[in-house]
Amino acid sequence: MLIEYVDVFISGMTNGSVYALMAVGLTLVYGVSKAFNFAYGSFFSLGGYLAWILLALVGIWGGYISVFLVALPLLMVFGYVTEKLIVAPLRKRSDWEIKVMMLTLGLALFMDNLFQVVFGSRMKSLPPIVDGVLEVGDLVVSYQDVVIFILSISGILAFRWFLNNTRIGMAVRAVAQNPEGARIVGIPKDRIFAATFGISTVMVGLGGVLLAQKYFVSPSGGWDILVKSWVITAFGGMGSIRGGLYAAFILGMLEAFVGYWFGMTWVLFALFGVLLATLAVRPQGLLGKWG
Amino acid sequence: MLRTTDLNAYYGQFHVLHDVSVHIKEKEVVVVLGPNGHGKSTLLKSICGLVDRVEGSILYKGQNITGRPAEKLVNEGVIYIAENRELFPEMSVLENLKLGAYSKNARSHEKKNMAKVLDLFPRLEERKKQMASTLSGGEARMLAIARGLMSHADFLCIDEPSLGLQPNLRVEVFNIIKEINKQGKSILLVEQNIPQIAELADRIYMLEEGQITFEGTAREALENDHLKEIFLGM
Repeated sequence: MLIEYVDVFISGMTNGSVYALMAVGLTLVYGVSKAFNFAYGSFFSLGGYLAWILLALVGIWGGYISVFLVALPLLMVFGYVTEKLIVAPLRKRSDWEIKVMMLTLGLALFMDNLFQVVFGSRMKSLPPIVDGVLEVGDLVVSYQDVVIFILSISGILAFRWFLNNTRIGMAVRAVAQNPEGARIVGIPKDRIFAATFGISTVMVGLGGVLLAQKYFVSPSGGWDILVKSWVITAFGGMGSIRGGLYAAFILGMLEAFVGYWFGMTWVLFALFGVLLATLAVRPQGLLGKWG
Repeated sequence: MLRTTDLNAYYGQFHVLHDVSVHIKEKEVVVVLGPNGHGKSTLLKSICGLVDRVEGSILYKGQNITGRPAEKLVNEGVIYIAENRELFPEMSVLENLKLGAYSKNARSHEKKNMAKVLDLFPRLEERKKQMASTLSGGEARMLAIARGLMSHADFLCIDEPSLGLQPNLRVEVFNIIKEINKQGKSILLVEQNIPQIAELADRIYMLEEGQITFEGTAREALENDHLKEIFLGM
């Protein structure tokens, strides 16, 4: 019995870490540029499909290491260009936030249908990043889970390091805290917006690669991720990265235990239940601020 | 050094500046006086590339910079120092200063300027690691000026640096501006504190309802009946 709970706990931690990575990416874009990206889930699928192309179709030498080396830069470029082409032109218009939502929603539908045309509607699976299990007494932990956890956390830590220690990272924080002040000191705001969009695409795409090994890649598999990322972001507090991290692990655990006790059908129900209850008490989310 | 000719500025439909022509010579301190809401800040912001719709011409060191955005102008040596400070609240004093040197031109002088600035503002040196949001009003004002200096700009547009400060801090701020000017910077200043301006300003402009209504030296301003009436109630 206890061992089973530990299993569920590990599953919650693993998924939670990937959710955290993805929620940080979504929060980043919202925090810096106030844009809502509804194609975020499709970017997740894109990451999964890129990995599938490289591993199953091309059979790239070096396995996952090469996947990361090739796919992550591609995702960065894809995100950067998408922002420049789709989001940036809207920014000068009135009610641009709504227009960005509509357009990214359109992009999501387009991408999902494109995936279906190109890859077919059958789900793709990816080989595990590492085989084997770690046995400690009765407890069995797959190395895959361990590696997923480590990679997600490393991604978050690397991002944190980037924000705190690089010039561009500082500029990103500056734009988030005071866009006008950032202009005054000479930070090219538009380029920062595009760069953060690119970084967030890398984060969700990496999430796609990592989770595709445990689950599958499918044309419409991103919607679940979009919903969960939004729930986490709203739960943690819009624009608060730390809040998003806490929220991701709380919801990862919640998902694992609700799934274990009541079945996976109840997971989203529980997530929204907790979200509603939280927002009823703290409308700004766990660590969010007003305004 | 800088000259505007028939400058018009708009916020949306609202026409704020009407044919404003001012000039600032090298190493001058020029003060813009005028009632609140008559376009003083807008004049500074228009010059610094922070107003979207500007007509007329702005020449800086012989170059036409009209309509060039702030993020590019900083690199040319023109910077706006805001009355509401526009700091990065959740960053340390040091990080704010470092970001002040973000532009390409400033980057190579960052170390030297940092030493200079911390020397000029010992209080900021003491609070180096503190978040900008925890500074007092006076300290934040100092930080805004210090951050502006980090940009290595030659031409500073300083918007009401003494606004809301206690008298002793005001004197401190004015002394610092005087010192900065002595070090070779040209300054366009918006101010309301007549007594201090008189000894600081080389020349004075009066801006009312978006138009220049007076131009002259500080002495001439003090002898001008119209200005006296407005500012001293005499």
